[in-house]
Amino acid sequence: MKSDYEYSPLDDRTQMFREIDQYTASSRRVPETPLIARPLTLSERTGPIELPRKWNVGALDLCRADENGPRALGQLISVSGRVTDEDGSPVAGVVMELWQANAAGKYIHEMDDHIAPLDPNFTGQGRLVTDEDGAYQVFTIKPGAYPVLYSGWWWRPPHIHFSIVGSSWMNRFVTQIFFPGEPLNEKDLLLNAVPDKDVRERLIFEYTDTVMGDFSYIGYRRDFVLRGHRRTPEMA
Amino acid sequence: MRQVISPGSTTGPYFPREFSDGSEDLTQRDGYTAQGQHLVIAGRVLELGAKPTWNIVLEIWQPDASGIFRHPLDLRAAEADPGFWGWGRARTAQDGWYRFKTVLPGAYDDRCPHINCTVLGIGLTRRLLTTIFFSDAPDAVRDPLLDCVTDLALRRRLFAQRDPSLDADGLPAYRFDIILRGEGETPFFVD
Repeated sequence: MKSDYEYSPLDDRTQMFREIDQYTASSRRVPETPLIARPLTLSERTGPIELPRKWNVGALDLCRADENGPRALGQLISVSGRVTDEDGSPVAGVVMELWQANAAGKYIHEMDDHIAPLDPNFTGQGRLVTDEDGAYQVFTIKPGAYPVLYSGWWWRPPHIHFSIVGSSWMNRFVTQIFFPGEPLNEKDLLLNAVPDKDVRERLIFEYTDTVMGDFSYIGYRRDFVLRGHRRTPEMA
Repeated sequence: MRQVISPGSTTGPYFPREFSDGSEDLTQRDGYTAQGQHLVIAGRVLELGAKPTWNIVLEIWQPDASGIFRHPLDLRAAEADPGFWGWGRARTAQDGWYRFKTVLPGAYDDRCPHINCTVLGIGLTRRLLTTIFFSDAPDAVRDPLLDCVTDLALRRRLFAQRDPSLDADGLPAYRFDIILRGEGETPFFVD
């Protein structure tokens, strides 16, 4: 009964500011003209549900460039959680894309001119599909911090980028999640572009546990709530 | 109890190139080629001062040439074109240009031919949403979304313009520039 979904406009109190002082790209790119209200038709309510078939989506371990190769440098961690709608129901079978810097704070990207070294055993990106309970889990290494060179002072705290391409054009979701207890979190322009402390907490991983064995790691968790709630049935 | 939507954020500058590669062409699926008029949509994404943007990510979603979405909400989904995904992603090059290869979307119900477009990238903590329309007579088009844009000059900016100088691979090209901020700003819709 996917047809029952309703999508309300995003509540500004739950999201980052659009324009942020010193984050200069925002004042060059955020439109000045007010956004235009419009109805949601079939076109906006549908979306690319077949992407798991189109893409290679088996990435569960970002710590190796190839399956039998050596492990990437850095602290091995597990990142897991659950993706739900606003009713708390699982959002199953949707693509999650992750990308991050390596342990030295370097991305494999032509625009990254930070002097830190690349790690040949770390690709820093992958795609997976949420399971029937909306759950996901990947193994990766904890990313390093890195300087935003143009700013003259700003270091990005360790963070992992998430993108979820949902079942509807309206629940497309992109964010970045930070690590608890990092001193750089206090001054990060993006993390602190959320006015509400409770909302800000939802941009930070929760430390869950440490796991010992042949494969030892530190566990972090972050759940996501995508836009969309079931239409309230009309009373007879 | 209703859950509160998670806070989103910008993609940042380092959205992986590999996440876009191969998704600029919507016309091939499972060994089939899409039906309908194939075309190129290309243009530049510009920031304040008409400066080009690099690595802005554009995502598009549209019905096939018969106006059908490959999605269970569309009652005609079983008849959707087997050669058409409906979804694409491209990113701007250093000079601000992007390019998609797709088909002319079909009209359906009260919607005239259109392509939904999302803009993601550094500087944008929230995605931007616009819609690309096609018509030789833009001012005569009636569409429930387009009609929300009451200023005629703004409305005209939502139409892709035929541009033979961009034709490629024997396909007709339509130009749609996206001006994020400044003179000639593209109309964007409430998310």
